[in-house]
Amino acid sequence: MARDALQPFELQVLVAALRIGDDAYSVPIVIELEKYTARRVSQAAVFIAVQRLEARGLVTTRLDDRATDTGRTRRYVRLTPAAKKLLRETRDLQARLWRGLDRLIDRG
Amino acid sequence: MRRLLKWLLPEDDRRAFESEQSELYDARRAREGDGPAARGRRADRRGLVMRLVVDRVKRSASGAARDGGQRVGATDRLGQIWRDLRHSTRSLARTPGLATTIVLTVGLGLGATTAMVSVIQAVVVSPLPYRVADRIVLVRTQHGDNLYNLSVVDYRAIEAQQTGFDEVAAAQLISVTATVGDAVERQRARVVTSRYFSLLGLTPVAGRLFDRSDEHAGGRAVVLTSAYWRTRFGGDPKVVGSSFTIDGAPHTVVGVLGPASGPLEHDIALFEIEDWPTPTRKGPFFLLVLGRLHPTASRAAAAAELQAISRRLFPIWQSSYQDEQATLVPADLKSRIVGTTGEPLWLVAAGVAGVLLIACANAASLLVARALQRRQELAVRAALGASRGRIIGVLLSESVVLVGGAAAVALAVAVGAVRAVTLFGASYIPRVNEVRLAGPALWWLAGLATLSFLLIGVLPAVAASRTARGAGLHGGGRTMTEGPAGKRARRVLVAAEFAVATPLVIAAGLIMGSLTRLLHVDVGIDPTHVITASLSLPAAQYATPAAAHAFWDRARAAFLSEPGVAAFGYADSRPPVDADDINNFDLEDRPTAPGEQQPLCPWIAVTPEFFGAAGVVLERGRLLDERDATASAPPVVVADRAWARRFFETEDVVGRRLHEGGCATCPWTTVVGVVSTVKYVGLDKPDEGTIYLPIGDGQRDRFLVVRTAGPASTIAPTFRAVVHRLDPNLAVSRIATIDDLVTSSTEVPRYLTVLIGAFGLAALILSVVGVYGVMAHFVARHTRDIGIRMALGGEPSRIRRMVVLSGLRVVLAGVAVGIVGAGLLTHLMTSVLFGIAPTDPATFIGVSAVMILVAAVGCALPARRAANVEPAVILRDA
Repeated sequence: MARDALQPFELQVLVAALRIGDDAYSVPIVIELEKYTARRVSQAAVFIAVQRLEARGLVTTRLDDRATDTGRTRRYVRLTPAAKKLLRETRDLQARLWRGLDRLIDRG
Repeated sequence: MRRLLKWLLPEDDRRAFESEQSELYDARRAREGDGPAARGRRADRRGLVMRLVVDRVKRSASGAARDGGQRVGATDRLGQIWRDLRHSTRSLARTPGLATTIVLTVGLGLGATTAMVSVIQAVVVSPLPYRVADRIVLVRTQHGDNLYNLSVVDYRAIEAQQTGFDEVAAAQLISVTATVGDAVERQRARVVTSRYFSLLGLTPVAGRLFDRSDEHAGGRAVVLTSAYWRTRFGGDPKVVGSSFTIDGAPHTVVGVLGPASGPLEHDIALFEIEDWPTPTRKGPFFLLVLGRLHPTASRAAAAAELQAISRRLFPIWQSSYQDEQATLVPADLKSRIVGTTGEPLWLVAAGVAGVLLIACANAASLLVARALQRRQELAVRAALGASRGRIIGVLLSESVVLVGGAAAVALAVAVGAVRAVTLFGASYIPRVNEVRLAGPALWWLAGLATLSFLLIGVLPAVAASRTARGAGLHGGGRTMTEGPAGKRARRVLVAAEFAVATPLVIAAGLIMGSLTRLLHVDVGIDPTHVITASLSLPAAQYATPAAAHAFWDRARAAFLSEPGVAAFGYADSRPPVDADDINNFDLEDRPTAPGEQQPLCPWIAVTPEFFGAAGVVLERGRLLDERDATASAPPVVVADRAWARRFFETEDVVGRRLHEGGCATCPWTTVVGVVSTVKYVGLDKPDEGTIYLPIGDGQRDRFLVVRTAGPASTIAPTFRAVVHRLDPNLAVSRIATIDDLVTSSTEVPRYLTVLIGAFGLAALILSVVGVYGVMAHFVARHTRDIGIRMALGGEPSRIRRMVVLSGLRVVLAGVAVGIVGAGLLTHLMTSVLFGIAPTDPATFIGVSAVMILVAAVGCALPARRAANVEPAVILRDA
């Protein structure tokens, strides 16, 4: 259903958080996304996306008032099993959709 | 922003966001520098607030589950509002007729009112667009209530003697013949003194403006306005320093005035530097004199100083000017420029505001009816636990949607109306080029829309919520009649519509009566067979009176040989508002007492043939002839009937003598004849008489007056052809039949009549629709009661009468209040009315009768439906 489908940006945030692992919070997620998309990414957009993902049970967050490296307050993000399942399904669907199309799209 | 974040985010989330944001800022600053990092942080903070608001509204509107606590509270209310608005939009879409009517009528009223506010703001309220406009004053000559321009003598005296102004300048409005390449055109120009531009704070866009060195260089320097520079010279900067011909003599362009000029420069093509000869007498009075008050000088001190200058001047020039009471005074420049335009503008604004009020009352009445029809739905909501506040919220959200739509329509209407005003109003609204639909106007629109929302929304919401709470769920709805509160509310609204509409329609009636009287004023010259045009001979080519005389003779012969030309003459003025010279005089038999103001009237210089060409008829004595124009002839004039009656009533005026311009040492001027009356100072002004004198040979600016055999307008092309044949360097301008001149002089009253008439009609239609709506609703709700009455032997005519009278009671109450209001308000229209009193009983009675009659027709339609009720059908269906 359209209402349950992941927005492209939410998907990107999930993938970035997965790649970063245990240290995922908005700052490394922004830096990671900027590295891959080569575009300016809004920290506010990441923050909102995390809230939405949390509301849908795809991530859990943990507030850390004294992060070990800087002593700053951070909200760490961790993917739930449901998110990993959704990512697998999305990846497989994409793979199936694209199968055999490389030649057509690369030929221009 | 921080406060908003605090409101939107729980404490933990906010702390985390702020901390992570500063961490990202540090990382970006190291990579990109201070500026981009700080900009990114600001954008992020704004973005978060926007996204949080949108996200929360959406989420609460879709009812998505969230965690509890602080996140819900405030945003839940937003969600509720969002849901109500969506619900209202969908529900209004089901009654498109009602929604469209309200959106369009209220939108039109809002838009027109906003446009009028913009016009009044720009024309009447805003200071003039000059630097230190509040310190610029106009110097005028005052005698009693009359204010005049100044003479060169006055200006030179002020310039030399005053200390209260830090700058003084003078300007004279003239017409010139400009020859650029092959094009020969008449253009409006100002002759100004060198300080004119610096006094007003104007700057050049190319070259320079005038300075002292130009003043004694023979008056051959010119400054172009930006508009003329663009249209005639294609905005070429190389034009500065070049020469072109003005009035037959080469003039050098020293600069171009910047586009940011004011109303004094509007419609002017170029400025010449002054080269006025040293005066030999006090008059003539043709100068606009401006002074810029010194920052420390008061207007009162300047007035005292000007008065002292007047007193010093009087004995020096007494031989040519005897009016000792006349004094130089500082006057308001803006009032002079805006003139009497303010009053019609306020009148139009009051008209549109009235229509807006009526449209709002009508909308409120329709919404009360709608809310009452939804009583059962609202009762269900109340039964399910909705508070009265919630029900009011639901109903108010409909008004929000409607007023929002109306505001969008209003914006489009206001944009169109402002464009139309600037396009069509240029010739009779001063400063119209300054009208913009800018910030303040949009705030007005927002304010008026809010007011409309209160007028439209509150009454229906409160009335319906009261009945919803009181009503049970019983009954099928068909038997329900509206509660007393709703019924009373609608009737009060309809009465209010008539109370506002009545003064508007009365104002429309008065102004129509005024225009009818104005259009019936006899101008005194046959309007359809006389055509006129303006022609000026350049001083360089026609330097001597003999040269000018020779040209005028050749032109007369050439015109008279044209087919269709029956008679031909010259004059220096045209009716009905173009008198060139309003001059004072002193009668031998009715001398003016010392200290009193001498009588004034237009002095029209004409050739002897003018009378025949214009159709001005000799009534006594003789007309002017060729000998009267010669320098050696004794001065004679011809007066018109109105002049004769003004001073001598039924006595003979032929042979009476007067001193022109009050010049006591000059020879007497004798009245040799009396002719029919012609209007020269306006159709709406009383006939105070005109004097005709022989036109001087050397007069180089004249109107050509042609009587035609057929319709006058067919001769128009002949003017250019004949003059071009005689001298290709001359430009004929302002070709117009007397009919054209009369039409253009009544332009403002005609536009005003159309506008106020349209508002009156709109007000009447809306009000009648209002009373029709109430009565139709009344009949629909009481169909069963009426059926029972009929079944019990009720007469259809009595039913009809009952319905009509019930509606008319409301109308009569409204009209009565409206008449009282009109009685209090119409005196504000005095200045725009002609020949009709602002409390004209016939208009008041006639308009009220028409309103009641039209309202009765509006009530008669539902009444007929009521009388046609079939009792059997109604009772069987019950």
